[in-house]
Amino acid sequence: MPLAAIRAVSKGQNGIGAFVLQCKRLDFHYCDWAGSSRGMNEYLRTHLARFAASNPSIEVTVSPKPRQHPVIKGVYVNGREKAICVRNMTPAEIINKVQLLKTDSGEKMKKSHRAGRNMVTSINESVRGVWDPFHRTGERFKI
Amino acid sequence: MKRVPLDRWVVQLQPPRNPRLGLVQQRCPYSHETRAAPRRELQERRYRVEHQWQCQRRSAATSKRKASSAAAAQVQERDDGIFSNYRQEETDETRPLNSPSPKQALRSAKLSALHARLSLPSKLPIQTLARCLVDGSVDPRPGYNNEPLALIGQDLLGYYTAEWLLCRYPRLPMPILFAAQYAYVGSQTLAAMRAEWGVEVVAAPGPEVDPGLLQLKRLPAGNAMAENDQMRSPLVLNSTSLSHSSRPTEDGSSVEAASASFIRALAGALYLHAGQESVKAFHQNHVLSRHLPLHTLFHFTHPTRDVSRLCAREGFEPPVARLISETGRLSRSPVFVVGVYSGDDKLGEGAGSSLNEGRVRAAASALRSWYLYSPVEDDVVLPSEAATKKKQWKPQMIDIGEVVT
Repeated sequence: MPLAAIRAVSKGQNGIGAFVLQCKRLDFHYCDWAGSSRGMNEYLRTHLARFAASNPSIEVTVSPKPRQHPVIKGVYVNGREKAICVRNMTPAEIINKVQLLKTDSGEKMKKSHRAGRNMVTSINESVRGVWDPFHRTGERFKI
Repeated sequence: MKRVPLDRWVVQLQPPRNPRLGLVQQRCPYSHETRAAPRRELQERRYRVEHQWQCQRRSAATSKRKASSAAAAQVQERDDGIFSNYRQEETDETRPLNSPSPKQALRSAKLSALHARLSLPSKLPIQTLARCLVDGSVDPRPGYNNEPLALIGQDLLGYYTAEWLLCRYPRLPMPILFAAQYAYVGSQTLAAMRAEWGVEVVAAPGPEVDPGLLQLKRLPAGNAMAENDQMRSPLVLNSTSLSHSSRPTEDGSSVEAASASFIRALAGALYLHAGQESVKAFHQNHVLSRHLPLHTLFHFTHPTRDVSRLCAREGFEPPVARLISETGRLSRSPVFVVGVYSGDDKLGEGAGSSLNEGRVRAAASALRSWYLYSPVEDDVVLPSEAATKKKQWKPQMIDIGEVVT
């Protein structure tokens, strides 16, 4: 067998070609009785319908959560969830929080700088290559 | 010379063209073999196929699924011909549905969100999107599951990927071509794509679940996957190991196979409802935009021999390896940079910790740059582009083949 191929799977690059919004669902939890939900209730009454209509790719659910603080929970394509407690907030503040959840990638918060060094992430391999003295076992040369 | 095994070329990248061939093979009408056990199973299947129109009438399918239902109708007519040999008296019992009814599709928030998230054209109805999510293991009726659509979609995705690879990289050897095609539209990739789209899988199928989830009956626990899944080895030694995972059966289907069938069905449905342009855009945006470094797919065993054969074939001067630079020859970690030259032309360059390793790597790099030749962008005209009068057709380069076959 002169030439064999190595099995690979291509990697998705969101935004090159198609862009898929990473936030797939927003859950709004409110309480009818408690005062901390006052702003949230007003947001649900006045702003939510417009938000849902202008963002058709996000599934919106509203459900009561009696005797609890109001919470907005975002569910993301990567399977993670992010919840923000919006107690005592005004509708204008809640709009900002919703925007935050909508534009989030769903990834865990990470420091972009680690131990004083810049973390560079690229899916392309370095031009120079990484030299290592210990090659894979069973092969004489790593080509 | 490159010998193209036509049967492999057509068959290997595709599952069986007619999904019902599997049924017929189990009980060939001309065979004298008698088997007691599968007969009841076959009767059940035949029964289900014959009765699917009655079920369809009962559930009063909406008239919006025009194109996809029409395609299913043709499949059904062929089925009747196939199974007329086994026609017996019919019974009246019906099976309860295991998947949500198509009528629920319009009320599903998940489905319309998915439709918007993928920016699908409005010509593609929500009901068809729901049907694309129904795997054959949940609903065996071809008029309701995604198998007929997946057949069309599989052919389209395979064709567009193959023509793009062949015109863009005319010298790709066959194993690499198959591996690249698998990397772009193989079931593993499509399963990853399904996850990246945020489509979830049902825990267990049933009529009450949301139609926006991938409807699938999971395989029961066991070692069945281990038996027929040798294809997971990292090396693709020949194209036969690229054959696709098995079709969904009554027992269940793997998440990977069901996800792949969903995306293929979506491509097929786009073709039927919104036309060829729409599928091409879908393929461009979701498949070809993915990142695949082609030079990492090669696995050479004797690159130096291949380079000298190549030079002999092309009439170049025989290749010579020369040391370009070196550092730390007497140290623990020496680096030698070696170039492979044919006359004054440098064919490739490689660095290694020994002279021989540098030479072998340089030869491999020379072969990679030969095989990965790509014509100028303006000269590449895909047959499908020429067919839709988008571009003027130009004859494309066809290479004489791999160096060593």
